[in-house]
Order: sequence, then structure tokens, then C-alpha cells
Amino acid sequence: MLLAGGQGSRLKALTSKVAKPAVPFGGKYRIIDFPLSNCVNSGIDTVGVLTQYKPMELNAYLGNGQSWDLDRSDGGVHVLPPYLGEGEQGSWYKGTANAIYQNLDFIERFDPEYVLILSGDHIYKMDYSKMLDLHKKAGAACTISVMEVPWEEAPRFGILNVEDGDKIYEFEEKPKNPKSNLASMGIYIFTWSKLRQYLIADEKDEKSSNDFGKNIIPAMLGAGEVMMAYRFQGYWKDVGTIDSLWDANMDMLSPKSDMDLYDTEWPIYARSAVRPPNYMGPDASVSHSLLTSGGEIYGKVENSVLFHSVTVEPGAVVRYSVLMPGAVVKAGAVVDHAIIAERAVIGENAQVGEAPSPRSEEKNIAVVAQDLKVGSGAKVEAGAMITKNVKGGAK
Amino acid sequence: MNDLHGIIFAYRANPELRELTQHRNTCSIPYGGRYRIIDFMLSNFVNAGVDDIGLVVHQGYQSLLDHLGSGKDWDASRKRGGLRILPPFSYAQNNSTMAGSFKGRMDALAGVYSYLENIRQDYVVLATGALAINFPLKEMFRQHLSSGADVTALCTHEPKCDPKGTNYFTIGKDGVVSDVIVHPMAASGIEALDVYIMSKDLLMSIVDHCSTHNIYSFSNGVLLGMLGKIKMMPYFYDGYAARLQSVPNFFSRSMELLDPKVRADLFVPERPVKTKDQSNPSTYYGADAKAVNSLISDGCIIEGEVVNSILSRSVRIAKGARVENCILLQGTDVQEGAVLRYVITDKNVRVNPGRMLMGHETYPMAVAKNEIV
Repeated sequence: MLLAGGQGSRLKALTSKVAKPAVPFGGKYRIIDFPLSNCVNSGIDTVGVLTQYKPMELNAYLGNGQSWDLDRSDGGVHVLPPYLGEGEQGSWYKGTANAIYQNLDFIERFDPEYVLILSGDHIYKMDYSKMLDLHKKAGAACTISVMEVPWEEAPRFGILNVEDGDKIYEFEEKPKNPKSNLASMGIYIFTWSKLRQYLIADEKDEKSSNDFGKNIIPAMLGAGEVMMAYRFQGYWKDVGTIDSLWDANMDMLSPKSDMDLYDTEWPIYARSAVRPPNYMGPDASVSHSLLTSGGEIYGKVENSVLFHSVTVEPGAVVRYSVLMPGAVVKAGAVVDHAIIAERAVIGENAQVGEAPSPRSEEKNIAVVAQDLKVGSGAKVEAGAMITKNVKGGAK
Repeated sequence: MNDLHGIIFAYRANPELRELTQHRNTCSIPYGGRYRIIDFMLSNFVNAGVDDIGLVVHQGYQSLLDHLGSGKDWDASRKRGGLRILPPFSYAQNNSTMAGSFKGRMDALAGVYSYLENIRQDYVVLATGALAINFPLKEMFRQHLSSGADVTALCTHEPKCDPKGTNYFTIGKDGVVSDVIVHPMAASGIEALDVYIMSKDLLMSIVDHCSTHNIYSFSNGVLLGMLGKIKMMPYFYDGYAARLQSVPNFFSRSMELLDPKVRADLFVPERPVKTKDQSNPSTYYGADAKAVNSLISDGCIIEGEVVNSILSRSVRIAKGARVENCILLQGTDVQEGAVLRYVITDKNVRVNPGRMLMGHETYPMAVAKNEIV
């Protein structure tokens, strides 16, 4: 069950028209491709995608699941929006747990032994079948995937305290004095009969905020259920903010990031646009960048991630930036430390963003929302969030 | 447009294509980086609303089947109709040996006779699968219906193909084809592009006629044999068209894609060229990479230099390697310091460090599939 209903309000202009899991990532993908591909590669063939906020783009993207080999006659991918039931009973998904509760019938239909709960806003590769092995072996009611984080960062996370053999005895949300540095990754495996029981009880509790982290997990711990921590090692990134989204894109350029997109053993599937190969013009210059088909590159591209059908005109410079599908950078324009959303056009000699000073902690990523135009000669300052067209020459 | 049925001939392996057709027939030759040449005709059909498509194959079609799958990437996997692969089933019954290929198109059509009988449309478009073109088939069909012609032939005023394998038409004052020149030494007149529309009834009677008169070839049996008996009219499309007739020809036709005008002709946004969805990652360019005047598909890792070249998917160019005027097909691995000029490498070729391979524009060096240099 993939929770994909979040608005991703911290991504601001990038999620004004799409849900966070549908935000383009890494040149070829959308965020949701990572958990979905992990499911398929782990041998999971039935996936419910819970949508709520601006689901149109996401629904269209998922289609019948063909791109992920999830077009099955038994199982496959199912988009699950909130709905009204008998006597117009029903509501929006109130919380993560409530979202699953509202889809009890869907899960019952497949009569599973175990249910995996995922969120649609993390970039990572993970074999869930190994996590399930641990869950079965331990005879657990719930297994939570955890990662070691630096101790000084632990207070920002939900921390799990474990004892003999990674058995969880305590869960602390953002503890001031953490007892462990094992952070929850928001990936849960439940034995379905147990989860079902706790979801129904939680729904009856009017004071509950119907959330896995806040309600279900503490309730299960309190009742003494067997709960295990599954230690994950490798690349994992929450891309909930502009900075972290930009950062994660830049990580795709780094061979040290531990995220190998070229690994054929664990491919990340995507619905790809069928476009002719990328054309590199006679004076094009590209270094340390990812480029995708359909583009026409005549200018200079450095340390950047370009999605399909991007145009960089002669004399234009793109540095440390993410250019989403169909973005156009006109002649002489400079784009630096910026995210340019789908089909946005940066006019001639315009400037968008700038490199932060070397000592600066802030990255100050400038963002231009989709379908906008930045007029020729205009200047968009570092860190600006552009949600309306910018006139030529304007600042 | 449900009244038009499509038939694509994909049974030929042109020997002039040497290494490139060792493991495949002409239609599944990679072209333009990520495509196979068959993608173009198939997309022409699908974009014109031709839903039922028969693909006539004979030998060496494993790579074609692998590429096409069920046809879903072309939206041609349908409950009713859709893409059908037609090996020579009638042929096998009537001939004790399966040796050799079809002797010609009429032979091929006779080989799938029972399929032809079951065509549910009134009109049929017959086309070669080895032509890179993006033409408005819809309009051609409209013209066929309004002109009263028995056969409409796709033609161009701008001959580009090797005359030895091409037919030319002389058009009379009434706009009807008055003479056909089959495979001459030099181009003369209007070039035929191997796409014909006719009614199913006419097609069936021609197939009957040819098989009972031992006529195998479409050029001899239909174009020449029926000259004056049927009204054949041209439909002109003067945009880009490329047929792959030999290795040098494959090379020069491919290289023309570096011209933006050619790409604009072939890759028309309203009529997209569809191909197998491979889910490759983007292409990574290293810190010292150089790539100019080149077409580069997804999934490559480029750390060396690429000049005036076309790269298919998942090609690797190591540091210090230099590739100039080359066509590198899927999975080619050019290792450190290797230098390639005027070379065509087939799938999964590996060029070891420091090797130097040089062909010439008129005789590009072709390295066969899976070879290690």
C-alpha cells in the first residue's frame, strides 16, 4: 500500500498542479517510480496507490501499470482515492492509518498474509523481500525499516530504541536526548490480521489522529506485540523540500552516492516518453550531467540533471540545475542553482538563480513553476520561488 | 479510419547490409539511435488509425519479435485485430521444404493467403518495413478514395534511393502511371516508395492471378504486368525518406539525421514515432566528456569524446576514447583510449583499450554483434 496522497506543500510551486509522488526526479523518473520499482523487483505484484491531493497527473502516469509490469489480471496496480460509502458515509483520508482503514475491503479482497506500507516520497532502492524474511523469522506483528543516522541529526527523526536482536521496545518522535540513532524510514510490514485489528480499534478512538507513527505503532508497542527493526544500508533520501529535492538530483550525478541507476539487476522503471535521441549541437558542451532523449543542446550544461525534450540554445549556460521535461533556456540565458519545472521558458539573456557563496550553508535554489515564462533579460534572484510570469527585463 | 488494413513486408534480409543483417532481417536494423527501422512504418499505420496490421515475416525474425512483443508499445495489442505476425503458414503446407526465402512479395502474400481472406476491411495498404519515413497515410488513403484509382502508390519527386533496388514511374497527362522502370542502373523519373493502397478485392484477385501464373514479384506481376489494365496513381510525399540498402547507404542515411531539417521531417510531434519502451536511465556525461554534433540515446555513459556520431542506448565511451563519424549500436563498449573513425559497431561490441579502428565514408567498417576487438 503506497501512500501517495500527500500534497508536498514544502515543494511549493512544484506541487501546485501535481501530488508530490508525481514530481519528476533524476532525469527520467517521477518520485513514485522508486517505491513502485522496488515493489516489482521485490516480487510484489499487487500494489494499492492511495491518492488524494491533485491525483490527475498521477493517475494518468500510472495508467494500467504497464510500465512497471503491474498490468496483471490478478493483482496489479490499483489507484485508491477516498470515496463515499453507504448513506454518503466517508471522508477524505484523515491520516495515514485512516487511509488504509478506508481500504480494508480492497486488502481483504486479496486476503494477504502480510501488508507492506510505503510512502511515495523517498528515493531509495530496497529489497522488501529481505525485510519480509526477517518479519516472518521473528514472527513479528510489525517490522519497521530503520537507518542509522548521525547522532547529532537523530533529534529530527522518529527514533526506534531496540534491544536484543533488534526488537523494538520504544518509539520516540523527535527525541531531545536520543537513546539510539535508528531512524524510522516510514516503511512498515504488518501481519495483516494484527494490523486489521489495530486499525479498527484506532478508528473507534475519536481522539486519535489516525496516523501510523503517532497512533498505531505506539498502540502496538503498548500492547506488547513483537516489533522488529530492519536495518537498511544504502542510499535513502526524503525529497520533501526544495533543497533536498535538488540535493537528491545532484546525488544522481555522484558515483559515490550509492544509487546506481544503471544497475540492470535492480532497474528503476518509468513510463518514458518516446522521443528521438538527444541532439548535441556543434558547439555544445556538457560535463558531469544527466541528459535525456528529445533534447536539443546547443549551449553549455554543467553539473545538471536534464529531463526529456529540454532545449538549451546557443550561448545559454545551465549550471547545478534541474530542468524538467520541455523546459527551454533561450540564447544567452544563465540558469544556476535552479529548478525549472515542466515547459517553463527562460527568455534570452535572462538570469535565473546564482551560485551561493562558498561559505553559505543555504543553497538558495531558485524555482520557476511549470508553464511559466521568464522574459528576456529578466533576473530571478537566488532562492526565489516564481509562480507567475516574469516580464522581460524585470527583477 | 477503420476501413484500411495494413500489411508490412518484413521478410527480407538484404545481403548488401553484411554484418548488420547477420542476426536480423532488414526491418529490425537499428536506425536513428533508439529506433528500429520498422518503427517508422508501424507508427505511420498506427498514427493513421490503421488498427489491424499483418507483418509478413519468413526467416531471421527473432530479433523483430523480440522488439515488437505484443505490439503494446505501438498501441497495436488489441482484443480485436491489432498486430499479427505472419510467418509463412500457408507456404509451409504447400511446400515440403521451408528452405530459402520468399521469392518475392506475391509469393509472400500467397504464403499468408488464409490471413488475407479474413481481412475485415475493404482496403489494404501494403508497405515495406524497411523505410524510414513519416508521411500522412490518412491523406494518402483519402486521395485513394476520391481519385477513383485502383492502386495508389506513394511516390517522391526527390529520388534518394539506390536505383538498383528501386522502381520509377512515368506519369501520364491524366495523372495515371504510364510506365514503370524496374531496378534500373540510374534513377529516372518519379521514385516509388514501396507503399501501395488498393481494395481487398483487387488484392485477392492479383494474388490469385500471380500464384496461378507463377509470378513471384510485385514489380513484375503487378506494376509491369498490370500496366494499362489497372489505374495506378501516385500520392506524392516529398519529405525525408530513407531505405537501408547497403552498409555505406545505412551509414550515410543514418548520418543525415544530424541535420535538423531531416529530424523535423521524421519526428513530427503530431505523428510520433513509437518504439519499444526500455526504461533506460538518462545518459551521464562525465567531467571531461565532449559530445558535439551527435545524437545520443538514453542509458549511455560518456566520459570520452563523441563527434559527428549516433549512439544507441547504453553505449559506454571510456575516458580518453574518441569516437568520430561513427554509429554505435546498443551496448557498445568503447574502452579507454580507443579511437574509432567511420565505424559501425553492432550490439554489444567491445573495443578494448587503445584499439584504433578506421573505415572511410564510402566503406565504413562494420563490426558484427557481440564481437570483441
